[in-house]
Amino acid sequence: MIPARPSPNWPLWIGVVGFLAAMTVWSAYGIGFSASELACNIAGGTRLLEESWPPDFGFLPRLAGPMMETVYIAIIGTVVGGILAIPVAVLAARNLTPNRPTWFVDRNFMNILRTLPDLFWAMLFATAVGFGPVAGALALTVFTVAVISKLYSESLESIDMGLPEAIRAAGGNWLQMIQFGALPQAMQQYVSYALYAFELNIRASVVLGLVGAGGIGMILETQRANFEYERVTMIILAVLVAVLIIEEISESIRKRLT
Amino acid sequence: MSERPMTSRSGAIRFHDAGIVYPNGVVGMKDLDLEIQPGEFVVIVGSSGAGKSTLLRAINGLNTLTSGRVEINGEALNTGSTRQLRRVRKNIGMIFQDFRLVKRLSVMSNVLIGRLAHVPAWRSMLGLWPREDREIAADALKRVGITDKAWVKASQLSGGQQQRVGIARALAQQPAIILADEPVASLDPVTTHQIMRDLVRINRELGITTLVNLHFLDLAREYGDRIIGLRFGELVYDGSARTVTDEDFRDIYGRDLTADDVVEDEAVEGGEGGGE
Ligand SMILES: Nc1ncnc2c1ncn2[C@@H]1O[C@H](COP(=O)(O)OP(=O)(O)OP(=O)(O)O)[C@@H](O)[C@H]1O
Ligand SMILES: [Mg+2]
Repeated sequence: MIPARPSPNWPLWIGVVGFLAAMTVWSAYGIGFSASELACNIAGGTRLLEESWPPDFGFLPRLAGPMMETVYIAIIGTVVGGILAIPVAVLAARNLTPNRPTWFVDRNFMNILRTLPDLFWAMLFATAVGFGPVAGALALTVFTVAVISKLYSESLESIDMGLPEAIRAAGGNWLQMIQFGALPQAMQQYVSYALYAFELNIRASVVLGLVGAGGIGMILETQRANFEYERVTMIILAVLVAVLIIEEISESIRKRLT
Repeated sequence: MSERPMTSRSGAIRFHDAGIVYPNGVVGMKDLDLEIQPGEFVVIVGSSGAGKSTLLRAINGLNTLTSGRVEINGEALNTGSTRQLRRVRKNIGMIFQDFRLVKRLSVMSNVLIGRLAHVPAWRSMLGLWPREDREIAADALKRVGITDKAWVKASQLSGGQQQRVGIARALAQQPAIILADEPVASLDPVTTHQIMRDLVRINRELGITTLVNLHFLDLAREYGDRIIGLRFGELVYDGSARTVTDEDFRDIYGRDLTADDVVEDEAVEGGEGGGE
């Protein structure tokens, strides 16, 4: 027979819920949120919604180019970043790194990349190469390295070290040990992470466009600034559909992998 | 295809006063003095933890001696020198209980891994294997009788077939020495005998010094020329497989023998060299 269920730790639960509620209220106060103001603004919001409908379907043909640019930026970022992430991940994997100093430096490098948001990189590269798709692609490259390398290095740390040892025993050098002994074992995870990064990059690519990195996001920002709300709606719908389709494809590939 | 010699150098092994103490204080090898002549077929027995793997792995530098020295063809092994280590390992094939193949690659690609140390690294890494090396790999596959599986993915093979790929990979190195660490421990009795016969035949045909760790006594007796017994890292028996007695085995194991110490299936008695 199953032993009697132990009673829940009520004080703990009340404490946790109380703490979270207090934090939320405090934060809302901090950003000047007030329910009455929100209520007053609903009128303005409703007007905006009315102006935004119906979507301007006539604008659709002019979206194809920018949309493709957004996808190109994401593809370049994913492919270049995905390749660069491999050495970063390998050197940060405790079981594969050639020595401790390398591991230490690479691991911290990886963590710094992860700490800084994609917008930061976009600004940085925009300063370097000017606003535009190139800056966007560079930013997403770094962002992709940040996303993939940590996950991938953790997968690499959990591989069976028997095969790398066998490569060594056959006289293979460090690079050959990595290529033939380590990478094949975490191949599936790698592809899965790369697809995941691609999904994130599509969305990030739209957002980067808002700050001038080209693509559909840039059109969105221009139309918004010109109060062309029906076009804005059209753009948002188009982005929504495109992102959904891409994520669907990516996810079905990832599912098939596992 | 032309018959080419699978080995050029002779594989002599010599331990002088060798010892291994692991970082955790466990003694893996103690005061070992051992000489193995080129072309010998040596079976190493001993109970679990006796130091069989430790001994094999000291020969190709996967383990480092903490005292004494080991010489391969008269050259003292220095595991601190990556260059020497690679040169020595190039000449020593290793076979593992768990096969250790690249599962997602073809049999051929796996066998070519035995050529890693023989070709420029960039060629192997780009998959641009020289014709000669591909022929050596094909020849190695032929010797273990699985030429027809060359383009099959390693993961799709049976255990016995995978171990044959492991042997072919070792052969592709054209080694002077083969180290087999419990090569049949994860195989069924029939396959076990086939693999043991393959190893013996290759030893006879190519004169490759072969060291095999085994924990089945009947296999040691049947296939070994020379039997080495280890206990707590020490050499406690060294003699001919023809004359070894149950009493000797009891001494090596420090206990009575049981049914678990033999492969019971005796249905596949067969002459050496017949397995092609
Ligand atoms: N890397 C290691 N670190 C610490 N101790 C080890 C290490 N490898 C082996 N040992 C210990 O050294 C002793 C000898 O181990 P070894 O693997 O050589 O035995 P074995 O005869 O091959 O045993 P088995 O039949 O179980 O494979 C054992 O007590 C083992 O626990
Ligand atoms: Mg062992």
